[in-house]
Amino acid sequence: MAGVALLIILYLTTGIASGLRSAANVVITPFTWTVNEVARPVGHLLSGVLNYSDVVAQNKRLRYQLGQAQLQINENSGAATTLGALGKQLNLPFVGNLATVVAQVTATSPTSFSATIDISKGSDDGVLAGMPVVANGGLIGSVLSTTHHGATVRLISDPGSSLGVTFGNGASSVVVTGRGVNNGLGASLLPLSTVIAPGTLMITDGLAGGLFPPGIPVAHVTRVLLNSGSSTYGLSLTPTADLRHLSYLDVLLWEPST
Amino acid sequence: MNRALAVSTLVTLFVVAIQLAVLSTLRVGDVVVMLVWLWPLLLGLMGARLVALWSALLGGVMLDTHAVTPFGLTALVALVLAYLGIRLGREGVGDLDSAAWWVTPVIAALGGFVAPLLYVMLGAIEFNFALWRGSVLMAMVVNAVAFFVLSRPLAYLARYLVAPGERTRR
Repeated sequence: MAGVALLIILYLTTGIASGLRSAANVVITPFTWTVNEVARPVGHLLSGVLNYSDVVAQNKRLRYQLGQAQLQINENSGAATTLGALGKQLNLPFVGNLATVVAQVTATSPTSFSATIDISKGSDDGVLAGMPVVANGGLIGSVLSTTHHGATVRLISDPGSSLGVTFGNGASSVVVTGRGVNNGLGASLLPLSTVIAPGTLMITDGLAGGLFPPGIPVAHVTRVLLNSGSSTYGLSLTPTADLRHLSYLDVLLWEPST
Repeated sequence: MNRALAVSTLVTLFVVAIQLAVLSTLRVGDVVVMLVWLWPLLLGLMGARLVALWSALLGGVMLDTHAVTPFGLTALVALVLAYLGIRLGREGVGDLDSAAWWVTPVIAALGGFVAPLLYVMLGAIEFNFALWRGSVLMAMVVNAVAFFVLSRPLAYLARYLVAPGERTRR
């Protein structure tokens, strides 16, 4: 019971809890390092033995996708120039023109109750809390906190995540919330007058004061849900980025206030 | 007692490290098996009262420092499990020597099944309702199965490492 009381006090006194977080990190790091040194080679060996044919097949697929992506880059360069010019005219930041920091994923969330990742770049590299993070063809989340050499990113699938998106040539907007990595995203309270179908692409709305710049792909609609008697739709969405296989990603050096 | 606490501190830190470095990656149906909850429960069942509570608090707080969920939630659930383990252990239920072989795994499985639910309920008390949006049922089932499988070998480890000293002083 004393422990419970201590935790309540720590929870209420955020400053102490914050200090405790830093101290605990220092204490646990050597143990994590030791376990990692032992577990990683064993894991790699097992993974290599068990999944060799998968790795070869995946390599072939990746080579093909790389070629496709290169082709698309070439095709899109003209369109990007035009879009950038339009964005400048409308005084909107264009994602393609934003500076980025490439980071590597170093750890995933320690529990299944949150969807976060740790990355290898931090405040020393210009990464700040609130910056959007993209990878695998879409938005994956935003920076939650930073240290000098690392940062924690809250994924868009985290149950505590919500962001504004738009679709249908910007005619409609809706707030998308996370449901955990396994359950994708969801949205609700979409008026019945809205025209929407499975496959519709949702992109960040970039509204004034918004947390993300406009135009970043977020998710595709997988199901349109309508309960009898309800006056609004619900949506089930799949992120455009593959959130389960993240290794490298880009942090957009864009702050919500800019 | 001091030896038991010192050993349990070291072991608990390794348990947290395994949780962070191995189990958070090795997910089953995207669920992380919560070894930091199973460990204090087993210590409690083995009769190591103070050690169980200390391991629950230390392991929980250590994990909470790495999670973005409300601070202290993991530790609270671990403390509850440790307390339940202690109560059962005091009655001689779940003891490796006196009970049938399946009793410890079944108690652990029940603990694993209830713990995630307790976690999101405590989160709601802290006004964090977002935790309900995740796969709570999946987390309950996966943890129950994993606790069932892991409980017996870990219970032997718990008894070997820390519990004998505690039991002789009970």
